[in-house]
Amino acid sequence: MSQRQTPPGVSAAALERAFAAFTRVVGEQWALRSEEDRRTYEDLYAFDAVDQHIPSGAVAPGDVEQVRALVRLANEHRIPLWPISRGKNLGYGGAAPRMAGTVVLDLGRMNRILDVNEKFGYCIVEPGVGFYDLFDHLQRERIQLWMSAPGQTWGSVVGNALDRGNGAPLGEHAERICGLEVVLPDGDLVRTGMGAMSNSDTWAAFKHGYGPSWDFAFTQSNFGVVTKMGLWLMPAPEASLSLRMKLPRAEDAGWAIDALRPLRLQGVISQPAGIGNYLRDAAVRSQRQQWHQGEGAMPDAEVQRMIDTLGIGWWSVRMRFFGPEQVNAAKARVVRDAFAKRTRIEFEEQVWRSGEPLAASGAAIPSVSGLRLANWMGGQGAHSTFSPVLPADGALATAHLARVRARFSEHGFDYYGGFTLGERALIFTSGIIFNRDDAAMKARARALFAALIEDAAAAGYGEYRTHLSFMDRVAQSFDFNEGALRRLNEKVKNALDPRGIIAPGKQGIWPRAYPETRR
Amino acid sequence: MSQRRLIMIAAAAAATLAFSQIACAEEAAAPAAADSAALYERQCGICHDAGGFGTVMLERRVGAERSVLAQRNDLPPAYVRHVVRNGLRDMPPLTRVELPDADLEAIAQYLQRARQ
Ligand SMILES: Cc1cc2nc3c(=O)[nH]c(=O)nc-3n(C[C@H](O)[C@H](O)[C@H](O)COP(=O)(O)OP(=O)(O)OC[C@H]3O[C@@H](n4cnc5c(N)ncnc54)[C@H](O)[C@@H]3O)c2cc1C
Ligand code: HEC
Repeated sequence: MSQRQTPPGVSAAALERAFAAFTRVVGEQWALRSEEDRRTYEDLYAFDAVDQHIPSGAVAPGDVEQVRALVRLANEHRIPLWPISRGKNLGYGGAAPRMAGTVVLDLGRMNRILDVNEKFGYCIVEPGVGFYDLFDHLQRERIQLWMSAPGQTWGSVVGNALDRGNGAPLGEHAERICGLEVVLPDGDLVRTGMGAMSNSDTWAAFKHGYGPSWDFAFTQSNFGVVTKMGLWLMPAPEASLSLRMKLPRAEDAGWAIDALRPLRLQGVISQPAGIGNYLRDAAVRSQRQQWHQGEGAMPDAEVQRMIDTLGIGWWSVRMRFFGPEQVNAAKARVVRDAFAKRTRIEFEEQVWRSGEPLAASGAAIPSVSGLRLANWMGGQGAHSTFSPVLPADGALATAHLARVRARFSEHGFDYYGGFTLGERALIFTSGIIFNRDDAAMKARARALFAALIEDAAAAGYGEYRTHLSFMDRVAQSFDFNEGALRRLNEKVKNALDPRGIIAPGKQGIWPRAYPETRR
Repeated sequence: MSQRRLIMIAAAAAATLAFSQIACAEEAAAPAAADSAALYERQCGICHDAGGFGTVMLERRVGAERSVLAQRNDLPPAYVRHVVRNGLRDMPPLTRVELPDADLEAIAQYLQRARQ
């Protein structure tokens, strides 16, 4: 059993005093300090030794006033806090803080759905509201609105949106944020946008309010603790139509991206279109040892055998249309015509109509079965995703794909990845799946991740989000004018949070209080 | 199980869960049997129902017959408590915030009851 980790510069006695003060705010039950409790917040999928990101404890407020009280006490006792909503940020650090010894501020108890407005299509929720909770609420109350959710839905609506996560049907969830309530690092309480007006009805209906627009400044940031969020939902559509095409060769991604880009840009396809490789399908359905026994990346011939046996493509292109049936059909026709100029392969089409079982609709139905992909390599599964942003251009994407695949092979990993097409740029995600019991494999996974960051940065591609272990390195790759963005972030950080108590190091933003910790 | 049915179960679970959380908020008396089932469904069933992540992983390790947790008869409460708080291989541990001790106790007892 390891010794209790304290934050840098904080003695064990000072930490005890701080916890005693926290306990007076939240009560004994919600101040968690045992070794066992701390371990429940560690990063299961850690690249480094887990102790590099182990908290010294956790504290769980029940309401906004308790959050404010805890933040003020943290200032007084100089104890850093790491806010989480449900803390299921698996692949990016889970519930664990960037800096060891930081106390997790677990907002999971604050789990009220405060408002769902069917007429205007939004909800206002607290951080602890999970995707399961929101889904159940919409179903139970028969509200004709749909939520959007990531590939696994154990987490929270707020945490996922704040980390700028994405999912289906709506794509980038941060784009749907409309109005936040935030406890600032000095304990002050602010509402952004129209919510800054105490009698406004449009807090979650109109985004920017008056003057500087703040919502995005609190995403992927350590400028405050978000305690409420307005989020736009989509009207339950009368129908949906899904198009799916299997492409046989790795090179096919290039022309597919070029075919899709103008359709995205014109809005014919209004939701992100995905192009995913064979392993995305295979890893949730099978384990590597069924196909290949040896070390190193699976040889091409065995990959082909797996593709043929499972009846999947090298790539699978997927998109979906939601709305009136005739509109969906018309859009699908435009897409089919565009693809017919480039391939003889046909789309598989599936139409869903309101009233039919939801499973085929493309609605976000909560599920955690995606978690099993981590077990591809056997042992205790772990994975992380490397996701740089590229122009939505086929030639650039396939050139970078070749570099990425070469790195995967060089480090002995099977290539897992794909593209999510926005209107102008695409997110190129590559998943590294490893067995965390195997120290050598874990080291290779880390080396691969580092190499991928270097290659991408050299080509001018930066990541949209990353794991705790790489936050500093990715921040460095945003290097214009000798890192002017970092200087701006840190100026703001130091102004709002002079003692550096909220999430030091998150996204590579280090407060003045921890000069020695930047890697 | 059909998606519909799953949705209905989930909705029912949430309704009773909301109630049981209020009941558990202070010093909890163990929830009644129906609440325990709902609690189990929400906190564990999402992975341990047929076809779930936990079930698939247990199938790989202990075989199909023993892969659905609620049908097992060899899970002493102490073991359940230990696995939930410490995790086990691919099962992540659950914190005392998302699953307070009183709720875990109710689930451990429920899994005991399930075998009788
Ligand atoms: C198999 C698999 C598939 C996945 N698929 C997807 C996917 O499709 N899309 C996707 O986006 N992610 C995906 N993920 C990653 C991740 O699991 C989800 O994004 C998840 O929703 C994040 O957990 P959470 O919602 O509990 O957020 P949290 O862990 O609570 O929050 C994430 C981070 O945001 C910050 N934060 C959270 N709450 C607050 C607050 N109230 N105030 C200030 N800062 C805060 C903290 O830094 C925190 O670490 C996947 C993971 C796995 C393992
Ligand atoms: C996120 C998914 C997930 C959730 C939620 C979850 N489990 Fe698990 N559980 C697993 C997985 C995966 C395994 C298999 C671990 C292995 O053997 O690799 C497992 C295994 C177990 C085992 C071990 C059984 C054995 O034969 O050794 C017990 C006991 C258990 N879970 C109890 C629970 C209880 C009780 C809950 C709810 C409080 C719960 N689990 C919630 C994923 C989950």
